[in-house]
Amino acid sequence: MKKAKVLIISLMLMAMVLGFAQAQITGLEVMENVYNRPTGPDIQSTLTMTLTNSRGSTRVREIKQFIKEFGDDEKKIMFFVAPSDVKNTSFMSWSYGSGKSDDMWIYLPALKKTKRISSSSKSDYFMGSDFTYDDLGGRHPSADTHTILREESVNGEECYVVESVSKDSDYLYSKTISWVVKGEWFGMKKEFYDEDGELLKRLTINEYKKVNGYWVIPEMEMYNEQKDHTTLMQLKDIKIGYGIKDSQFTERMMKRGIR
Amino acid sequence: MKNIKKILDYSWLAILIIVVITGIFIFAMKSNIRMETDLDKYMPQKHPAFVYSNQAEELFEIKDGIIIAIENSEGIYNEGTLQKVKDLTKEIQNMEGIEKNDVTSLYTADNIVGSDFGMEVNSFYKRVPTSESKLEKLRDDVRANDMVYGRIVSLNEKVTIIRAEISDTTFTDDFYNQILNFADEYEGPETLYVAGSPIIEGTLGRLMPKDMQKMAPLVIIVIILVLLIILRSIKATVLNLLVVLLSTIWAFGLMSLLNIPVYSVSTMIPIMLIAIGVAYGIHLFSHLELYLQKNPDSDKRTAIADTLKHMWKPVLMTAVTTAVGFTSLITSEVYPVKYFGLFTAFGVMSAMIFALVLIPAGLMIIGLPKPKQFLRKKAADKDKVSFGLDTWIIKRKYLTIILSIVVIGVSLFGMSKVWINSSFLANFQKDSAIVITDRFINNNFAGTSSLNIVLEADEVDKFKDSTTLKLVDDLQNELESLEMVGDSFSLADFIKRMNKVMNEDKDEFNSIPDSQEMIAQYLLLYEMSGDPENLTSVVDYEYQTINITAQMKSDDTKTIKGAIAVVEDFRDRFNDLGIDINFAGTGYRGYVFGGLILDGQISSLILSILIVIILITIMFKNFIIGLIASVPILVTTLVNFGTMGLLNIPLGPTTALISSIAVGIGIDYAIHFIDRYKEYAAETGDKQKTAKMTMYNTGRAILFNAVVVISGFLVLLFSIFPPNRQLGALVSLNMFSSFVGTLTIMFLLLYLSNIYFKKGRSSTS
Repeated sequence: MKKAKVLIISLMLMAMVLGFAQAQITGLEVMENVYNRPTGPDIQSTLTMTLTNSRGSTRVREIKQFIKEFGDDEKKIMFFVAPSDVKNTSFMSWSYGSGKSDDMWIYLPALKKTKRISSSSKSDYFMGSDFTYDDLGGRHPSADTHTILREESVNGEECYVVESVSKDSDYLYSKTISWVVKGEWFGMKKEFYDEDGELLKRLTINEYKKVNGYWVIPEMEMYNEQKDHTTLMQLKDIKIGYGIKDSQFTERMMKRGIR
Repeated sequence: MKNIKKILDYSWLAILIIVVITGIFIFAMKSNIRMETDLDKYMPQKHPAFVYSNQAEELFEIKDGIIIAIENSEGIYNEGTLQKVKDLTKEIQNMEGIEKNDVTSLYTADNIVGSDFGMEVNSFYKRVPTSESKLEKLRDDVRANDMVYGRIVSLNEKVTIIRAEISDTTFTDDFYNQILNFADEYEGPETLYVAGSPIIEGTLGRLMPKDMQKMAPLVIIVIILVLLIILRSIKATVLNLLVVLLSTIWAFGLMSLLNIPVYSVSTMIPIMLIAIGVAYGIHLFSHLELYLQKNPDSDKRTAIADTLKHMWKPVLMTAVTTAVGFTSLITSEVYPVKYFGLFTAFGVMSAMIFALVLIPAGLMIIGLPKPKQFLRKKAADKDKVSFGLDTWIIKRKYLTIILSIVVIGVSLFGMSKVWINSSFLANFQKDSAIVITDRFINNNFAGTSSLNIVLEADEVDKFKDSTTLKLVDDLQNELESLEMVGDSFSLADFIKRMNKVMNEDKDEFNSIPDSQEMIAQYLLLYEMSGDPENLTSVVDYEYQTINITAQMKSDDTKTIKGAIAVVEDFRDRFNDLGIDINFAGTGYRGYVFGGLILDGQISSLILSILIVIILITIMFKNFIIGLIASVPILVTTLVNFGTMGLLNIPLGPTTALISSIAVGIGIDYAIHFIDRYKEYAAETGDKQKTAKMTMYNTGRAILFNAVVVISGFLVLLFSIFPPNRQLGALVSLNMFSSFVGTLTIMFLLLYLSNIYFKKGRSSTS
């Protein structure tokens, strides 16, 4: 009998410990971990964006991009490489940790002018793709209410399945569901639901790897279920921590273009 | 002929067979009949214009738009109205079958703005602005954006519209009612208007049959009354009506058996069968009456046998020629018209069978009409007209010929003024709610109807080219100079707007830039600023095909034709750039469809006149008779189209088909008249006598027939639907001109031709 008692007590203890362990991380914390995952001091790469519409027609854009952390702020500059008629069109954005809205510029070589463009909404589409700025990691976790639905493994990686419900009822998505890799804090896939709670988009990670000790996603795909439209994003020549000069992120550099 | 008399011995059997077949047809109708309301099913889908239009509509997601206009006489820039715009937009977005992006309103519209910095693409509002300053800013934003000002918000700022594009399959009864409910719910203090072609078609599709259902019994009642007056016998009236009724049942029964749906054109079948079917009975009874006048003591069998003996041949001949005439409609490219021709032909043949089987058999069973009522003691006034008419005309043969030539001349002049109209809106009364709404929206906005012009290049990226876009811009300017074109919209408008915005909003930059790079970079900028499909409605993914939408203030054929003519002027210039021009959209398809119906109708009219000449030549073994017999058809057709031209009645799908009556009735009258004339000529050998007797006997029956049908169809003049009124007027007119044409000019030509009288024996004065 004694043995049984010990067994019961130890089982109870185990349950408590496990329960405690589970209670330790909340949905919000998972998403904060994702939001705060270090991405390196700077990163440069060539981005190929392939848009495919429901008729199977495609638009391909090739962009050379540079990103650098400046404390809590982040600066980013991008140059179009292809198609040729938009070559050297450049785009620069400075986003601020303070919550101040982003500064954005565009340079059109044909116009020979740099223009400020507004960053009115994070729910705008990024470069006309199926990704919004928020989808690319811009949305602060405090904007949603997060709940861990369950844990399951995706592609052999243990993931938290987190449901994030928007606090703002006017937001593009009523909710999203993210599969976040435990301990590594990058998303493995994500589903986006529209204002009516219908599935709108599905994000799939095709490839993930560590470069210089940082997780990067060289290939991912966003599929819009309602419009049958896909954006494939592929990164090549990824270089992290090579030390991009601060002066790279200026209007002068936008005009100079890449050679 | 001897076989036909057997009917008299087997009357019950004959009637039983008819009852059984009718029963089968009624059963088929009950289980199988269905209305075809999808207008696309009416169009020949394999026709190149339709194939192209459908492809383009799919590519650019061109759909018909429902327009809900919200009017606030105090102006729309207040919290309440803007809240309504938002709520209603969301309600419509959530309706079954509606895609969110297909709903455009001030709430959903993109606002491309130039600022000191550069360019922004915003929404006008998300949260309803409440403060005075925010409302003012919204107003200023709208005023500064001519892609919205005048398009979504009226220039007087009292009206704003919500446009919902829907696919053809979305429009159901429920959908229609739901939209109308919204309009009611959101009413006050704002006034709501609902318009757009789906609404017009929907309303028409629901109200017109209802109107017909109301009017048709009245038509029948009047016909019954007039038949009773003319035939003076309930028995004869009932039998006559049965001929018409049963032939209609047989026509629709066969349609159901063959699983062919009822198209709106098919509603013309009973009209044709009334006009034609009534004649058979009238001729039979007219003959019977005359026989009984001469032989008052004859028993019913002999009387009926004599009627059959004299009448079976002309009735058979008229039915066959009429049926063949209608069958010629199978040359039409439009299926509903083919079916209309075939089933009317079948109905005519059935009417013939009923006339030759049911009437004699029925009379054998229920007995002859009571002689006292049935027989006119003396020739009535009408008979005197018939009596005198022949001499009157022969005396004034030159006057008759001159008058006929004048009528034909005036008709030809009128025909030159005939215009085609496939407009749906033209079907409504000028003061009906739907017309008023349409006018209201057309006054405040660019237009409720649209024409899509699709330009397709032979290489990709052609529409990033400056020369090309400038030509597109020229084309649009030319189009917009037309009074009825309120606005046009294409990729060029986006480029011009961007160019202006990127150049400090200066008006001189509201133009197409010269370099392709500039255009490509603007486009990239625009693509980057919106969702991936924000240019779907104006250009394809490869910049190889563009869609220009012209907004027009009317859907009538004149307007569409005018716009198309302007575009055609540009065809060569575009061809030089390797660009082909095509058209698309519902308005265009309606336009092509109207043309097809008309072409089909005209070629089948010509064909049927030729067939009639040939058939009658064979039947009477005389080519001149064939030509003379075609006179009533020609006169009727000419007068029909001439009157339409003179009275400004447009040719539409239904009005075009009315001219088929000319074939049906014209042949009937001609054959009956000529056949009787021939018989009397052989009998008497005297031309005067022959003329008099034919006029008295057949002329009278023709007069009765015309009076019955005309009085019936004149009832339709009281319909609230202009097309139904036109139908009544034109059917009556056709009956009248067939009647007059047969008894005057055709009679005169027949008389003067001396056919059936050997030369020299003529006793013409």
